[in-house]
Amino acid sequence: MTEEFDVIVVGSGITGGWAAKEFCEKGFKTLVIERGRHLDHPSSEYTDMQAPWQLDNRNMAPEAYDDEGRYAMLKAKKGKLKTDTIQFFADDKEHPYSYPEDKPFMWTRGYHLGGRSITWGRQSLRWGPKDFEANAKDGHGVPWPIGYKDLEPWYNYVESFVGISANKDGIDALPDGDFLKPFEMSCVEQHVAKNMERAFKDRRLIIGRAANLTEAKTQHTEVGRSPCQARAYCQRGCTFGAYFSSLSATLPAAKKTQNLSILTDSIAYSVDYDEHKGKASGVTVIDAKTKQKRQYKARVIFLCASALGSVQILLNSKSQTFPNGIANSSGAVGHYIMDHITGTIGFGDVPGFEHKYSYGRRPIATYIPNYRHEPSEQVDFVRGYGYQATAQSRKMTGTTAKSVGIGAAVKAKANKIGQWQFKALMYGEMLPYYDNYASLHPTKKDQWGIPLLHIDAEVKENERKMIVQAAKDLKEILAVAGCENTTIREVPADRHIVVGNRTHEMGGAVMGSDPKTSVLNKWAQSHDVANLFVTDGACMSSCATQNPSLTYMAITARAADYAAKLLNQGTL
Amino acid sequence: MTPPELLNPTMSRRVFIGATAYVVSVPLFASILKTDNELIKIIDKGQFFTPEELTILTDVAEIMIPKTDTPGATDAKVAPVLDGLMVTWANDQTKQQFKTTLMQINTLARDTYQQSYTGLGCADRQQMITELDKAAFTAQTTQLSINYRRLKELIFHVFYSSEEANPDFVLIPGHYYGDLTKSQFEKVKRGETL
Ligand SMILES: Cc1cc2nc3c(=O)[nH]c(=O)nc-3n(C[C@H](O)[C@H](O)[C@H](O)COP(=O)(O)OP(=O)(O)OC[C@H]3O[C@@H](n4cnc5c(N)ncnc54)[C@H](O)[C@@H]3O)c2cc1C
Repeated sequence: MTEEFDVIVVGSGITGGWAAKEFCEKGFKTLVIERGRHLDHPSSEYTDMQAPWQLDNRNMAPEAYDDEGRYAMLKAKKGKLKTDTIQFFADDKEHPYSYPEDKPFMWTRGYHLGGRSITWGRQSLRWGPKDFEANAKDGHGVPWPIGYKDLEPWYNYVESFVGISANKDGIDALPDGDFLKPFEMSCVEQHVAKNMERAFKDRRLIIGRAANLTEAKTQHTEVGRSPCQARAYCQRGCTFGAYFSSLSATLPAAKKTQNLSILTDSIAYSVDYDEHKGKASGVTVIDAKTKQKRQYKARVIFLCASALGSVQILLNSKSQTFPNGIANSSGAVGHYIMDHITGTIGFGDVPGFEHKYSYGRRPIATYIPNYRHEPSEQVDFVRGYGYQATAQSRKMTGTTAKSVGIGAAVKAKANKIGQWQFKALMYGEMLPYYDNYASLHPTKKDQWGIPLLHIDAEVKENERKMIVQAAKDLKEILAVAGCENTTIREVPADRHIVVGNRTHEMGGAVMGSDPKTSVLNKWAQSHDVANLFVTDGACMSSCATQNPSLTYMAITARAADYAAKLLNQGTL
Repeated sequence: MTPPELLNPTMSRRVFIGATAYVVSVPLFASILKTDNELIKIIDKGQFFTPEELTILTDVAEIMIPKTDTPGATDAKVAPVLDGLMVTWANDQTKQQFKTTLMQINTLARDTYQQSYTGLGCADRQQMITELDKAAFTAQTTQLSINYRRLKELIFHVFYSSEEANPDFVLIPGHYYGDLTKSQFEKVKRGETL
């Protein structure tokens, strides 16, 4: 493999796949550096064609993992380790990171070609104008250097390639796009949505916006994708390519151009800096297997190693000019780490639909967009929250596996179709706090000699107040929905909320207009190093309440377009 | 340790056969049906369990989830699957725990009925396991309770994830419908278009 490229993209997940596609399609020789193993598409590691009885160990990961302390955070996240998807998550024993003992941080990673685009939940939501204005308005974090209008054409662009099934809901906080036909709401979801529309001026229940093809258009079939089969096994990988992943969509598109080279099992150790040219010269990688270092050169570097992955690389890229990490003259690299927070969940039975049924497994939930952008007299916090919600099928009655009861009578009642239940989980906006930060551990290193990332982040008073209000609001919503036997759970004020738990980690190299306080400009380009871009979640100056990946995609495509222009002009 | 309530000689002798009669299914392992007490005696050694242990396991699982008008634990090959899981899934502690549980069930039979578990009549075995189930969820701290509940959970997991227990499972539904009447639902399940 030649070691000089036009562009190096670090990471092959959602953003890396997009950067690769854009540059390759624009004619640039592009190298994607991926720390994990190669995966084909469809992959022999996909388990989407297996019935429950065909999954390894009946979907139970070997207990030896527990004994060896493997996948501890994944277990904390999911409750159980399962064989249907565990192969798509990184083991924190093998890939450790660090956090203060009293502030565990959850960093869920996927180290393989495609990154977390294999396992993501595919909820694809635009941010609204107010989300980009929030920092400037209330003074938290660094003001965004871009607004909704800057991204709007790029949302359109990425959405049409990804294929987003959604309804045009006409909600300002959640702008519409040119969508594929939406998934159907269940009878109970329709009922709840109608009741909410009648009862509230601001709260709406809508069908989720899914990166799953309800219909396959030419640009989808061209890369070999076909429509969704309503299995909801997406996390296992999709043989049909029905949901958007790097493996099913962007990398095949990039490959078609013959401009793509992919290097797997290669860990980006640092971005190399040429002191004479004042530019990044390439990337030093460590071979994950042999542990040998190699260098690759390019005119432009795109860091797409996920928010925290890119922060780690930036901080580890030390030079004479940048002793504290490349692109870090502001000292802001690593700061403003955010995630969405949830501290409230509620559910209840919805009577009156006992004669109604559902069929199939819809791969997306419903959604209540943030309705608390504007300050109100009732609340004493800024920003707001939305809810991921669902009543897509009737609950099953379950079994007595964990309660008293055996024999024929018990069996006759087990796993039968039960009540309709509506449930909702709050997703709140965490403020960008400078002192929520990631740094390199001073002494601890991984097996490749890379300093561990130490992540020190916590929710504060604003988020706690949101949780309390979200529980009150949810109680009203469940009442309006006509729920019975309701339960509202709220995380007590004194219990640590694990940041990272929502897997929407953002910040660490935020965009801003001022090079003294931010790392990247409005193009997600380093203020300090013109040919270095960071377009994953690290660039986000605030985190809003919407699932963020669609916005990363739009930012990546926009940045790639800009960098391509500079490359063509010979400026980079 | 046996929970005291199970050692109580006044323990109810009510026969607990469940809603339907005991119907025999044949496990994967070579076996013979002991007609005197309707016990399937496993002859083969498993990958992990001894024939004696497999005999108890098969019987206990079938008592928990008997064959009725739908398949039971034996039809769903719960014991052979569990035997395999001991090799591919369980850690040493679990392996030991499951052996101990089966041994404890045997001890319980001896303490209660002065006979080995496999020597008990069908009704007594059903009654004993039914009582054990109740006791295990009442006195949750005894070792037998802990062990039994774990075994039960796994037996249920294996059964309810089996093909036999999921006759309506559809790998590729093809479509999601959220507002079906009963007859539309039945139609879609049959693969007919609406
Ligand atoms: C279970 C789950 C559900 C989710 N649901 C949603 C959802 O519904 N909607 C949504 O918007 N988001 C969702 N997310 C989040 C979403 O997956 C991420 O936002 C998205 O994948 C981020 O894209 P990325 O390219 O920045 O990072 P990733 O997709 O994580 O890709 C990063 C890639 O970089 C590689 N890499 C890391 N470090 C290095 C290095 N040093 N050298 C070389 N390669 C490196 C990794 O191996 C990986 O392949 C979910 C995530 C999970 C896990």
